[in-house]
Amino acid sequence: EDCFLEEKRFKQYCEEFIKHSQQIGDGWEWRTSKDLGDGYLSKTHFQVRNRNIPRDLKEKNNDNIERTLFTDVEEPLDDSQTAGVCATEEVIRYEYHVLYSNSYQVPVLYFRACFLDGRPLTLEEIWKSVHACYQARLLEGPWDTITQQEHPLLGQPFFVLHPCRTNEFMSSVLSSSRKHSRYTNYIILWLSTVGPVVGLNLPLSYA
Amino acid sequence: MAEAEEKPLASPQSEGRGEGGEEAPEGAAEGGGAAGAVDPAPPPAGSPGTEEPAGDAKKKIDVLLKAVGDTPIMKTKKWAVERTRTIQGLVDFIKKFLKLMASEQLFIYVNQSFAPSPDQEVGTLYECFGSDGKLVLHYCKTQAWG
Repeated sequence: EDCFLEEKRFKQYCEEFIKHSQQIGDGWEWRTSKDLGDGYLSKTHFQVRNRNIPRDLKEKNNDNIERTLFTDVEEPLDDSQTAGVCATEEVIRYEYHVLYSNSYQVPVLYFRACFLDGRPLTLEEIWKSVHACYQARLLEGPWDTITQQEHPLLGQPFFVLHPCRTNEFMSSVLSSSRKHSRYTNYIILWLSTVGPVVGLNLPLSYA
Repeated sequence: MAEAEEKPLASPQSEGRGEGGEEAPEGAAEGGGAAGAVDPAPPPAGSPGTEEPAGDAKKKIDVLLKAVGDTPIMKTKKWAVERTRTIQGLVDFIKKFLKLMASEQLFIYVNQSFAPSPDQEVGTLYECFGSDGKLVLHYCKTQAWG
């Protein structure tokens, strides 16, 4: 059973989403492209990341992620040994966009990230920063998961989370919830699922 | 999806042996899926002790796991889970229990409408979404990308 999302519904769900975001100060806004009149969700946030987070966070599954971030690193980085790395904690500016894809008829998550000095993260760095929960799957097929593409409206390079399976997993969950006559905001369901892969977490109040 | 007969809330099950099973099972009379399940995976390294000190306030909450779509149904659906267990920890546990590969994706949903982030603690979810003394979570094995 397919649960394709029509563009009109996409906009309605986004509107609801923005409303809630405004209520809780979550920072999402709706932007429209000057030429095309298409709109998209946008949010910018800053994240501190410790480069030495162990790959396998499963071992610390009872630790709050923030505690891990501020723990002393076991192997302090030495400037002379590690090219291009100056600090063990870095602030990264993330910008997330949610656009509607006409070809897939699903929302798509675009994002870009850069350090405070303006240096953009490379695709490799982005892959490394995927949540430990998803690293195993990522390693199987990184090119299937996150790649770099031109933003359809802005024409600038962004990273994108591949949408070709979106309909598949959304259908599983949506058909179950619809069976129980439960109202579900597609965007909230979808973004809460894929967001954490790339560092975007939705507060519980969206539920 | 056929629902197996649900175990009464009065005798919550301890978590399967895959998770640091040092503790004495609660409601030991329940043979159930947990004790009988073949779970050859060793407990995760560094996982905290799960012993419950006598007389302390309830540190575990009851979780009812429901499968979505074609996802395999767990023989034991009702679990007593530590409040501090994260969603990621629960995902790992379910994957081990269902013998899924590490690279397979499993997602957990609350209210069938929202996926809590991997670092969210189940105790908090229970406070927000629990009812009738338990937290109902739906889990779905699916490819989310690629």
